Amino acid sequence: MAYEGVPGLVETKVAYGETTLVVDPARVVEACTYLRDEQGFNVLADLAAADYLGWGARGVAGYIGTPAGRDLNSPGSQGLERVPAPKPKRFSVSYHLLRIGSDARRVRVQVWLDDGEDVDSVVGVWPTADWHEREAWDLYGIRFAGHPNLVRILMDDDWDGHPLRKDYPLGGEPVRFSEDE
Amino acid sequence: MAVAPRRKVYEGSRIPQPIPTVLEVDPSRHDVDDILRVNFGPNHPSTHGVLRLIVDLDGEQIAGIAAVVGYLHTGFEKTMENKTWWKGITYPERIDYVSFQNNELVFVLAIEQLLGLQIPRKATWMRMAMCELNRIHSHLVWLGTSALELGAISMFWYAFRERDLVLDLTEMVGGTRMHTRYFQAGGLAEDIPPGFYAEARKFCDRMPKAVDDYEAILDRNEIWLRRTKGIGLLSPDDALALGQSGPVLRGSGVDWDLRRDQPYLAYDEADFRVPVYPEGDVYARYKVHMDEMRQSTRIIAQCIERLETMEGEPWIADDRKVVLPPRHELHTSMESLIHHFKIVTEGYVVPEGEIYVPIESPRGELGCYVVSDGGPRPWRVKFRAPSFVALEATATCMSDALVADMIAIVGSLDGVMGEVDR
Amino acid sequence: MAVERTRRKVSDRPLAKAGLQSERLLWPTRGPGVFEQEVENLEDALGLTTVQKAVAWAQSHSVWPDTFGLACCAIEMMSIVSSRYDISRFGMERFSSSPRQADLLIVSGRVVHKMAAPLRQVYDQMLEPKWVIAMGACASSGGMFNNYTVLQGVDKIVPVDIHVPGCPPRPEALMEGIIRLHEKIQAGVPPAYQIRGVAE
Repeated sequence: MAYEGVPGLVETKVAYGETTLVVDPARVVEACTYLRDEQGFNVLADLAAADYLGWGARGVAGYIGTPAGRDLNSPGSQGLERVPAPKPKRFSVSYHLLRIGSDARRVRVQVWLDDGEDVDSVVGVWPTADWHEREAWDLYGIRFAGHPNLVRILMDDDWDGHPLRKDYPLGGEPVRFSEDE
Repeated sequence: MAVAPRRKVYEGSRIPQPIPTVLEVDPSRHDVDDILRVNFGPNHPSTHGVLRLIVDLDGEQIAGIAAVVGYLHTGFEKTMENKTWWKGITYPERIDYVSFQNNELVFVLAIEQLLGLQIPRKATWMRMAMCELNRIHSHLVWLGTSALELGAISMFWYAFRERDLVLDLTEMVGGTRMHTRYFQAGGLAEDIPPGFYAEARKFCDRMPKAVDDYEAILDRNEIWLRRTKGIGLLSPDDALALGQSGPVLRGSGVDWDLRRDQPYLAYDEADFRVPVYPEGDVYARYKVHMDEMRQSTRIIAQCIERLETMEGEPWIADDRKVVLPPRHELHTSMESLIHHFKIVTEGYVVPEGEIYVPIESPRGELGCYVVSDGGPRPWRVKFRAPSFVALEATATCMSDALVADMIAIVGSLDGVMGEVDR
Repeated sequence: MAVERTRRKVSDRPLAKAGLQSERLLWPTRGPGVFEQEVENLEDALGLTTVQKAVAWAQSHSVWPDTFGLACCAIEMMSIVSSRYDISRFGMERFSSSPRQADLLIVSGRVVHKMAAPLRQVYDQMLEPKWVIAMGACASSGGMFNNYTVLQGVDKIVPVDIHVPGCPPRPEALMEGIIRLHEKIQAGVPPAYQIRGVAE
């Protein structure tokens, strides 16, 4: 495979036509530099963080089967509760890379973090990561070490908490109905 | 797909250091005591929405600039985690509210790829037609408002005249002018109404003449040229380093368009040209927008021709676990009734997995990163907004800019604050 | 002159005489609707003088809106300036970016927590008399967003005269709201900050 030389590579997953390279968070800058210089991924399309707190906790009645039909011989295929595969840590940060050029390709680099763990910033590799990392800090509380300006970007400057975390409430007001009054 | 630029827009890189998105006052070029810090607050005459720019001015010249966003942060992503897949389709439309069909499309494509649904070709071609109509709508709004800000006030009325025609078509198809929620997982919500093809043909005949009108007003207008040529330079290397896409990237000479290079829907079967201009200034981005309007009209005409041969074909997939059954079946089939009930109450479930789907929205690469846990609601939805990334380039484009140029540059980056802040 | 309160075909109140019959455009023989009846009550109660009526006439025919476009509704607000819907028939095409010269604040779009302070500041900078239209579902009540960041109705921070429903409201719907505002002004209804007794 083309991605064996990526430094810090822990796992390679291929699903839905995409390649995901799970990388050790301590070596993410090395891996990104390698991908940019050796493999030609000149654009960081997106940097997405996700919080997996509570993943698989509630039983999920999944869609078991294929578009062609349900596989009645597969275990748990009668619509019983099926729990999704567990995730290694609480947070994932996915870097979606794009190679613009003759052999256009996409790849996803993924790192897994616990609450409070830092990851190095890739602003030095692609300057566009600046605002993406600020957004991940603002909404998830993931620290990017070495970021020149890690302050809130979308929420108020003095906002408390990181809204997109799963333990942060959705907020809003309860809807009042006229017959209740 | 040539990427190596033939002409250098400027030497080296103009991306500010150490913070790429903040231009800081250079003490060697400006007297620090003369600097005036002005706030172009969230409410301002420019029609791009609630963008705040904190500008350090040395006379008329911009010595430092920083953009503050977040004044329209609606919490889309967290809200969508609490809505079912079906009901969640109404949310992405309002993210980039000027190109709403493209936002719907990207979310629906992500769901369909996770589900592995086969979409009927009538739906695919109609989606293409609607998205290209939406591209014209977006470019018209951009043209009207950007020209208005630079003083070409009459362009606003010309552009909005055609915009109303586009919205008439959207209203005919989806029932409302904006935010139609016409795309569903599996295809379209309803069949194409009779009379649509005739109206769309009339529009396609009229649009190129309208673009000719706009170009007659602006293309060789002395004032327009002086205000846009050579302003807001962005070299191809800087544009790639800053993650740009869409007209900003193509206006800097990089030949990259997702519709041609990583096609989705049926763009590989459509015949259109991708405009690329190497100058890297506001005028180049303006020309890209104008040419794209012409090419979109061509694509729509081709879609109409293909769609007319598909009379009577299904407009949505047949998978009853995801798509509501036709209403007449509910009277006779028990399974249809149960499926209808399950889809409306619990919602259809999407298999576990994660996916990133990029499309070419009028502003650039619009991406949707979806993580599903196999349940009826998304676990995580993230939209990669091209305007968010385009605003990162503000500081780089502002070298040697005057205040008046700042208006032109921010306008040419075509930012819609709804998708910047989400 | 006895005042009849029964339903009749065409009202003889001053408002109807002024020619504004917004609820009767599509249904010419309909009697006065709820809005008109409420305004009639206010007209009776207020007993305007001729000078006040003249001032109200002048004010209502030249309301200058402030450019407070926030989100999707702003695009529809821009389209009422366009030639098809043409708000300059009502003397309102001069959108003023400076709140000091504006009469009407059309809050078009979702107001989020971060934007609430600038919104209130812009409202405070406007000079009396001033009116507010909450355009769209998000400005009226938070719309489809009920979360940590969207204000559930802009009337939590500014007093609102007219709410226009829709997501986004058609340009015609916004025109209807604006025309009703004109009718309110002509009838002498005080702006919302006076009715609610909030600080001006």
